[in-house]
Amino acid sequence: MNFACNETDDILSETIARFAAEELRPRLREFEAAGSVSQDLHTRFEALGFVAVDLPEDLGGAGLGLTTRLQINRRLAEADAGAALALDRLGPAAYVIEAFGGRDLLKRYLDLLAKRPEMRVALVIDPDVISAPKSSVRGEAAWIASGCADVLVGLGRAGAWLLESGFVIEAVRGAALHAAGSSRVRYDGRPAHAWHDPSSVARALAKIRLYYAALIWGVVADAAGFSRRYALDRVAFGKPIAHHQALAFLIVDMHIVVERLGLLIEDAARRIDAGEDGAADAASAFIDAIEASRFVGPNAVQILGGHGFMRDYPVEKAMRDCRALGLLGGGLDAAQDDAGAGLASAKSQELAA
Amino acid sequence: MVDFSLSDPDRAVLDGVAAEAKAGEKYARHYDDHEEEVLPKSFPEASGFPPIQQRLRGRSGHDTPMLVLQVLMRIEREAHCGVPLRQPPTALGNAALDAAGTAVQKARWGHLMLAMSITEPGAGSDTKAIQTTARLDGDAWVLNGDKIFVTNGVRCDGTIVWATVDKSAGRGGIKSFLVMKGTPGFELVRKERKLGIRASDTAAYAFRDCRVPRDHLIGGDESVPRGEREGSASYKGVLKTFNMTRPFVAAGGIGKALGAFRFARDRLAEAGIVVDVDEGPTCRSAAAQALLDIEADIEAATLTVLRAAWLASQGKPNNLEASVAKAKGGELCRSGPQRAMEALGAMSLSHDYPIEQYLRDGRITDIYEGTGQIQRLVIAREILGYSSEELT
Repeated sequence: MNFACNETDDILSETIARFAAEELRPRLREFEAAGSVSQDLHTRFEALGFVAVDLPEDLGGAGLGLTTRLQINRRLAEADAGAALALDRLGPAAYVIEAFGGRDLLKRYLDLLAKRPEMRVALVIDPDVISAPKSSVRGEAAWIASGCADVLVGLGRAGAWLLESGFVIEAVRGAALHAAGSSRVRYDGRPAHAWHDPSSVARALAKIRLYYAALIWGVVADAAGFSRRYALDRVAFGKPIAHHQALAFLIVDMHIVVERLGLLIEDAARRIDAGEDGAADAASAFIDAIEASRFVGPNAVQILGGHGFMRDYPVEKAMRDCRALGLLGGGLDAAQDDAGAGLASAKSQELAA
Repeated sequence: MVDFSLSDPDRAVLDGVAAEAKAGEKYARHYDDHEEEVLPKSFPEASGFPPIQQRLRGRSGHDTPMLVLQVLMRIEREAHCGVPLRQPPTALGNAALDAAGTAVQKARWGHLMLAMSITEPGAGSDTKAIQTTARLDGDAWVLNGDKIFVTNGVRCDGTIVWATVDKSAGRGGIKSFLVMKGTPGFELVRKERKLGIRASDTAAYAFRDCRVPRDHLIGGDESVPRGEREGSASYKGVLKTFNMTRPFVAAGGIGKALGAFRFARDRLAEAGIVVDVDEGPTCRSAAAQALLDIEADIEAATLTVLRAAWLASQGKPNNLEASVAKAKGGELCRSGPQRAMEALGAMSLSHDYPIEQYLRDGRITDIYEGTGQIQRLVIAREILGYSSEELT
């Protein structure tokens, strides 16, 4: 057992935290207004070498595993989760391509992305993929956190598909994660690839859920920290508001939620990196992340009172962003299904033994 | 006997209010996206609906008390994600004038739209900590200080301003003054940019050596009580108005949860998910269970506001019940829309649908007119029998 990070992770974490603090945090309202991050920021981020940090070295990655990837997500999201999504041009679609198409297909898209700096891949959850995919796919996702896409990857309960054409993305206004962009996507086309394999769905979904859970982790950690510092500074009824138990205990509960979430995410990621089946753990971590987002986001606003409701402070943005992240990746109810199935199968194995 | 039923005339009033609120939905996104704009006094669609006074004519003594009906109307209005087709002619400052003004002052200023300026950058829940000062200089009060979060602060004709005439006297030194727009030294600093309720204008003010006539002191009493716990007559008068406004604010939050619930229910029905209450919980989908949970919570919260409003309508004390309603409504407007969004998934985040706005707009309910924490403090004092000095 070891709760300490290794040296590489510490250095990476520091580097990415500095990038987030210097490059993202001061500009978050600017990115929000623009609905994207600037190309020069993409260039600087990619120069740091974090783009495919969790992918094997022969694919151009750093071979550091999911655990490291999630730390990066967390650190970026502490500053701006929308920008974190924008900076990752392949995004969690990578896990679908990897799980179904294997390393060769993943390499193909990584190479394309490296050649075309404006290229983006978007992921949609397609509820219609409940059996073997058909020769054409058709449907719509009313909202995705992406302003554009050159490749659209769909993931369903039983399989996945990949479209290189045959879809239309139109900008819509959205509630959150503005820096990532905001669109409605309609698709009706013949997939370049279509796969039917429920076990690959589970593997991809586990990583996707942890990907979003880690972003939520960053948002709620920062919101909890910001509101805690505010409560120490703000005076009401003759003392800092942190001295009033109603708020002190709330601050403590928020802290516990953030800590608990971090441990669940790291444990699930470690299992996956070790080659174990982490699907149920990842689903549990994602459920916990959604609960954390519902608890911490609105309460960070609450601690700041009326100021929290104003766009002069970042907590209203945190509330919106973490709420939104918890609705991605298939959301709560599907995760509960999978976490429950994991528990049931563990129980039946126990009984059989 | 306890009876929660509504008469036919009451039902007709509420139906009319709902239809009018629905007509205001078409403007909701525009004002949500363009917070810099202030709503016109009325929209063209308003002519299709009778003014509220006309709707209320012909109700008998057997019908629901007016204060209770007002709460029900608020729930119905807020359940539609819209903007008011007609702007009310009064604001919070008018309630303060009614509660604490002299007969002469009420006659003189009652027809104006008056905002209420209490909160300051450094003083929110702790109203006695306000730093804005009023100093008597000849025949004028000279005001200095900053005010924020002034509801209707852009569109109002003037505002009631809380200021202290003697900081050493604590609450006793706090008085309220009428300041008209255009008075030299009174500046509208900005219109605030908010998470939600963007159609409602919220202003920040600055007062710099702002001189107002001596008779603009609300209530006219210049004496400063010493050693009195509750503060001056005008301070008390204003706090008293909260006992009615709190259930009303809670009703707003309930309306937001109700709107989110209705939207989720209708969308889920299109997807074939309909709540069957006879079905056991083990057969029910998570989305159907979510609908049941939200609905039960809405019902419970609604009953708390109805009770608080009913007590007020009977002239009975409702300090405890008003705070219970506000605390409960404040919780519901967070949990209800959030759970409804989960049942619908990522589509909830698109501005093509109203549901995310219900969450943002409702979020203020647990903050303004006393945060959830302040309500709990009020409730604790009431049920434990402590004064505000004994329990802080």
